Amino acid sequence: MSDPATLAATILPPLLRGAIVTVEVAAGAFLIAVVIGMLLALIKTFGRSLPLRACVDLYVETFRNVPALTHLFILYFGLASIGVKLTSLSAAILGLGLIGAATLADVFRAGFQSLHAGQREAALAIGMTPGTVLRFILMPQALRTTLPPLANYGAQLVKDTSIVAAIAAPEIMFFARSLVTSTFETTLIYLSAALLYLALSLPLSFAAGRLEKRLGGGR
Amino acid sequence: MNSFLTPFADNGSIWLSVLLPAAGTTASLTITAFLLAVILGGGIAALRLSSLSALRRSAQIYVEIVRGVPVLAILFLLYFGLPGYGIALDPFTAATLGLGISSSAYVAEIIRAGLDALHKGQREAALAIGMKPRILYQTIILPQVLRISLPALLSTLIALLKDSSLCALITVDELMLTARALSTEYFQPLQIFVLTGVIYFAIAWPLSLLSRRLERRLLRGRRTVAG
Repeated sequence: MSDPATLAATILPPLLRGAIVTVEVAAGAFLIAVVIGMLLALIKTFGRSLPLRACVDLYVETFRNVPALTHLFILYFGLASIGVKLTSLSAAILGLGLIGAATLADVFRAGFQSLHAGQREAALAIGMTPGTVLRFILMPQALRTTLPPLANYGAQLVKDTSIVAAIAAPEIMFFARSLVTSTFETTLIYLSAALLYLALSLPLSFAAGRLEKRLGGGR
Repeated sequence: MNSFLTPFADNGSIWLSVLLPAAGTTASLTITAFLLAVILGGGIAALRLSSLSALRRSAQIYVEIVRGVPVLAILFLLYFGLPGYGIALDPFTAATLGLGISSSAYVAEIIRAGLDALHKGQREAALAIGMKPRILYQTIILPQVLRISLPALLSTLIALLKDSSLCALITVDELMLTARALSTEYFQPLQIFVLTGVIYFAIAWPLSLLSRRLERRLLRGRRTVAG
């Protein structure tokens, strides 16, 4: 085990396999978070129904003020006890996605709020339907301003996938833990895992920083 | 619905009597780690103001690395990795250190943003009238920075509270580990984890509300273009 080459050959393949799952979980969760988050933001920004808006608030507060691990345990162990059995991967993607939706709902809402009300009024006044206004006028601009926080969220998400190891989803941390029990190279393995996460999340946070500068520059 | 609620009526008080002390551990872990994060983060923010570029750079690298690595990896390195070098930390100490280090990067960024938000003229004016830099920071800069960063610092505290649940994985007897143990004892994971979620919510929500209120107060008088 002390030979560096054999050690690398033992450690790297599982960690990289884990990295692929990490990316899959992050991508799946990101997609769910964007779709549900946008829906929540639209209801909060343009919705008139009070009960519906209250539901959105309740959703956001629930997911914001309770740890991700608790949500994952409810989805994975809790639901299984009443007969709804999710695989660890789908529980991971669904859990992180639902949590992310609460984060992105606020991000998107801030994006819509940064637009001047006059734009919507003008577009409606020249006879565009509310749906068209949303699709061609408001959404593209709101998405543009929310790009930096979206990239930041992505970086955060990549790191957050580490906790789905706790429900046995086979991502980086999961493989790292099992490698440690078989090789006892604790520090080396966890450091490699940390570096892998860093390599996955740094490009996203750099992109966020650059986008922020670029979008801010025009003002 | 009834089958969901009856276990609470049967065992709810027993569960609470076990979970609430564990929530106390969660709270003390969170507070200790937060204090550490504020001290470390304040130090890092100060380094970023240093006139030595090497110090500024290393502070920046620290922030980038710590923000890019999952809390769990930091916790595992401290708890499982350090004993290999003869440093065996007990779970609570490793947890405090890990959470503190991971949050310190965010605290440093918040304080830096607070410093950036102050007008340069204040500093120059104070120095011009002969104020010593130490007094300047104590009486003029710090109070304002704290005021500006308070909402964001509270958000960090909430994030830290939530992250403290991960310390269950390095065997700290906090809320989540206790809930996990209860759920294997009573075979009612849904009810127990929902109850656990409610306890976390009861701690975090008031802090969220406070954070938002402070933020609104800071923004008062500043006009936004919200439609």
